[in-house]
Amino acid sequence: MDLKFLVVDDSVTMRRIVSNSLKNLGYENFVEAGDGKEALTVLASDSTINFVITDWNMPVMTGLELIKAIRSDAALSKLPVLMVTTRGVKDDIIEALNAKVNNYIVKPFTPQVLKEKIEQCLVSA
Amino acid sequence: MKHSENLVQLFDRLNELKYLFHYGQKIIPIIQSLIDFMKDTVPMLENINTSISDSASKIPKAQNQIHDVTSATELATIEIMDIVDVISNDISKIEDDIKTMINKEEKKKELFTKLRILIGEKSNGIEIVDELEKESNAFNSLNQILSVIQKTKSDAYNITIALQVQDITTQQLAAVNHLITSVQQRLSNLVVELDESDIEVKEQKKIIIPDEETFNAEAKYDKDESRQKLADELLNKTSQDEIDKLFR
Repeated sequence: MDLKFLVVDDSVTMRRIVSNSLKNLGYENFVEAGDGKEALTVLASDSTINFVITDWNMPVMTGLELIKAIRSDAALSKLPVLMVTTRGVKDDIIEALNAKVNNYIVKPFTPQVLKEKIEQCLVSA
Repeated sequence: MKHSENLVQLFDRLNELKYLFHYGQKIIPIIQSLIDFMKDTVPMLENINTSISDSASKIPKAQNQIHDVTSATELATIEIMDIVDVISNDISKIEDDIKTMINKEEKKKELFTKLRILIGEKSNGIEIVDELEKESNAFNSLNQILSVIQKTKSDAYNITIALQVQDITTQQLAAVNHLITSVQQRLSNLVVELDESDIEVKEQKKIIIPDEETFNAEAKYDKDESRQKLADELLNKTSQDEIDKLFR
């Protein structure tokens, strides 16, 4: 399967780090968005995107709200979503799980963890 | 009879009045000291008010300085990433060239083998071919260079990964900014209560107040894997029942 990623983060630095990491893992096909709302616009205009990597804390629309919006949209509900965030406390992780996130990475992440979590998402998808 | 009752009542009232004057004599110095104290307190309160107002007016400058620091570090981080990208691309080109050279070495080895067959084992020329192959063999050196290049490429990538610190410190600074905004609001309310006038903000720069949803006040840069392990453990509890139980 050809993978096309959508990397969602309000931090330019983080978008670039995640994108560089994807390139390093051999995934060359990706687009970016600066918040949840922008991500939904990108998803609406590009049906070839089949993997979302999102931050939690963002202006306009948070990553958690984005996941809820994706899960409630029939056309997008099966999309694998990986959350990459600084939020590492139990309640936050449970909240994300309840919103039906596929996998969860706590920043700062290592390339190995990113690789593992992408693969796990693809297996379970 | 009635007159004497009236006189008793009059004396009682006069006695009450006497006690009142007597009490008044005692209380007047206290009231006087209270007035003196109030007189002394007013300039003190004005001083406190001015001091609070002055401190509160400096907060927007501090907030803007924090915002400037965030912008500067983001800019610097992007510049570092640009340079690392250039280095990585150059290294990749060198890596490709070395791989090509290693392939040529392997081809050369095959040619030397063919040459030996053509010359024949008994010929003196075979020694020259052996010598030539030995002298021109760069296979080991190229492999060593390739491993150094690959390690340098990996190190350059690790620099990029370490730059996650910029995002994390940005969130920490946003939390500080949010905190001092609430301090300013409380100081402002205090001044309003003391002076019934709003704080005069000396510096009319636009204050950037970070929205609580845009940062995590608990963000931290550490290599402790316990938070990731916790996430992994919770993720393994895949059933909805188990997730629901965690909420209880």
